Amino acid sequence: MTETAPTLSAQTLSTVVSQPKLIARNLDFFYQEFLALQDISMEIPEHKVTAIIGPSGCGKSTLLRVFNRIYAIYPKLRACGEVLLDGQNILEPGYSLNRLRSKVGMVFQKPVPFPMSIYENIAYGIRHHERISRSEMDMRVELALRQSALWNEAKDKLKQNALGLSGGQQQRLCIARAIALKPEVILLDEPTSALDPIATGRIEQLVEELKRDFTIVIVTHNMQQAARVSDFTAFMYLGELIEFGGTQTIFTKPTKTQTEDYITGRFG
Amino acid sequence: MSADNIWLYRRRRAINLIALVLGAAATLFGLFWLGWILWVTLVKGFTALGPMLFTHSTPPPPGAGGGLANAFLGSLIVNSIALAVGVPVGIGAGMWLAEYAKHGKLGGVIRFLNDILLSAPSIVLGLFIYTILVKVVGHFSALAGGLALALIVLPIVVRTTDEMLKLVPSTMREAALSLGIPQWKVVMQILFRSARAGVITGILLALARISGETAPLLFTALNNQYWSSNLLKPIATVPVVIFQFALSPYAGWHALAWAGALVITLFILTLSLLSRLILSRSKVTHD
Amino acid sequence: MNSTHSEHILRSYDQELGRLKGEIARMGEIAVAQIAAAMDVIERRDSRAAERVIANDDAIDQLEASVSNDVLMLLAKRQPMARDLREVMAALRIASDIERIGDYAANLAKRSIALNLTAAIPPVHNLPTLAEAASEMLTDVLKAYRVSDEKMARTVWDRDVDLDSLYTSLFRESLTYMMEDARNITPATHVLFMAKNIERIGDHVTNIAENIWFLVTGQSLDTPRRKADLTSRMEVRPNDTQ
Repeated sequence: MTETAPTLSAQTLSTVVSQPKLIARNLDFFYQEFLALQDISMEIPEHKVTAIIGPSGCGKSTLLRVFNRIYAIYPKLRACGEVLLDGQNILEPGYSLNRLRSKVGMVFQKPVPFPMSIYENIAYGIRHHERISRSEMDMRVELALRQSALWNEAKDKLKQNALGLSGGQQQRLCIARAIALKPEVILLDEPTSALDPIATGRIEQLVEELKRDFTIVIVTHNMQQAARVSDFTAFMYLGELIEFGGTQTIFTKPTKTQTEDYITGRFG
Repeated sequence: MSADNIWLYRRRRAINLIALVLGAAATLFGLFWLGWILWVTLVKGFTALGPMLFTHSTPPPPGAGGGLANAFLGSLIVNSIALAVGVPVGIGAGMWLAEYAKHGKLGGVIRFLNDILLSAPSIVLGLFIYTILVKVVGHFSALAGGLALALIVLPIVVRTTDEMLKLVPSTMREAALSLGIPQWKVVMQILFRSARAGVITGILLALARISGETAPLLFTALNNQYWSSNLLKPIATVPVVIFQFALSPYAGWHALAWAGALVITLFILTLSLLSRLILSRSKVTHD
Repeated sequence: MNSTHSEHILRSYDQELGRLKGEIARMGEIAVAQIAAAMDVIERRDSRAAERVIANDDAIDQLEASVSNDVLMLLAKRQPMARDLREVMAALRIASDIERIGDYAANLAKRSIALNLTAAIPPVHNLPTLAEAASEMLTDVLKAYRVSDEKMARTVWDRDVDLDSLYTSLFRESLTYMMEDARNITPATHVLFMAKNIERIGDHVTNIAENIWFLVTGQSLDTPRRKADLTSRMEVRPNDTQ
């Protein structure tokens, strides 16, 4: 891990108590010829919640999609530079996508349960990566549901279709599905934008609990949410990382005018 | 309200009324013929309906008594062949188009060709099978009939599978792939499951379509007056029997033709209702 | 609003912040006037006028209540961030400082009524000098707040030392009069408390200055303050007065 020299500012470094888990270095991203991300360098600390904020089209979701290379399912997209997960460059062609995606889970804006039972939704992914006995599988499913605070609501209807759950429950099921694979990093792409305030509160509470076991990166349009749940905040604008630092600093005394204008609602 | 406004309002009301009357008239005109056709089919069909219909084979001329048992069996066999061939190939091709070819050039070309096949006159498809199979082998057969109908089933299934998979939200695809599951598994086990109701509906509609097809069977399955389940021999099918009997001078055959028409109509009606039921159920799951 | 920042996308947000600033400016003006009025009634030994000064404090209290309410609504409706958040927080604190200053001004008037019941002693005439210094500090710090000038606030903050020295000398003088003649003890004690009130006004002005510093820079003004109020450690022996 000696090659992972920190690039954070001294001020931010002082608040970093854990190792960087994910490091982007001089990352560029292209949609065909359009440069969607420009020279992004940042370090995402382990067991912390890092929020990425910025106006629509600033590239925050794109950045998230580089971290598990989900962008690779679409043609004509390409990332240059380095993204190091535990020191290994995941952009290398040799880095196994399946391995990457079992280490870096993702939850999307709209809850998308698979058209199968609640139990199967979680077991399906596990079954693909591991061969385990039925009783072990039962335990893993229960654990994932407990970790995502869904167990009490779902335990009596594990065999029922997941589409019968409420929106908030579906989203927690998606989180359960992701954490069931025991990933190290969880990417949340605007996970509450389709949910009501109560369900949103539950997800935020969950994020707080999950950071003990996982490194979390959350993209959100809701600045108050970023302020509430994250330890670090990155502000992006027009494909560039404008400012990255402790959440407290960003929301009380950001150093860049652009950041301040955005978070105080003066943009445009 | 000023006088102008009142005038405008009345004008709108008047135009609305005229449009309503014209629309209703057009609907009634269409329904009138449909109702008439169904009525005639029902009346003539019911009078010819009897217990012999399903137990006896087609009678020889001058055709009194007898039933359509052999034709029903033939239709069952020929349609089964058509589905057995058309559905798996169609689903496979549809999946390939929706998930792999996507917006590629090759996919576009194939989609275009499929659309041509979809709108090709069915007699052309029959002629095609006649040329490459019947003529080569030297005789008509149930198999040839089934294959001709499979060519009708195929583009319908390709099209519905393609469309239904495209309707599955891309986030579902991303969510599954982000679990590290390979694409073929994602397509077969998750995406297809979401699209299943639509695809089944497509298959049912294809079945409804081929159940009434006569033209492609004329050169392929031909007809058979006797009970036969041999795939390599000519076979009787309901539409062809209706066609033949309806053209004949015998009253007995006419009655059987009406009975056959009634059964086919009811069968297709059932299929349509079934597919509607399936679609309406699956609506709950896709919002 | 200050010129360095563009306007919010929501214009009513700017109006609300502007209103907050306006209320505080109004509070400050009244407080300055109250200090001057208190000095006036002391000089003229006019107890009736003193009552009016005391009653006038209500106006400041009401403005403070309305600032609190506006801040509450702003927090609830706008969830201010960064500079806006500091602006709102500073407004709340500054309002409470000015409210305290108003109380002290009223207190000065109240004690003047008691003072009028005894014979006048010379240290009373030094109170206006002290009050003037405090009042000027208040005027300047309010100006610094209006234009969001943290450097100006800082210079006001530095001036508290001078006020403290003025207070210390008045303290010493009052003690001297007490030593001289026991009959002076009652008026001199009142004068002492009044001087202390004015000195406290200066402390609240420094609080305001610190809040302006925080509002602009986002950091607290944490250099240790020089203290020139030495009275807490002062000891006077009878022979000192000889």
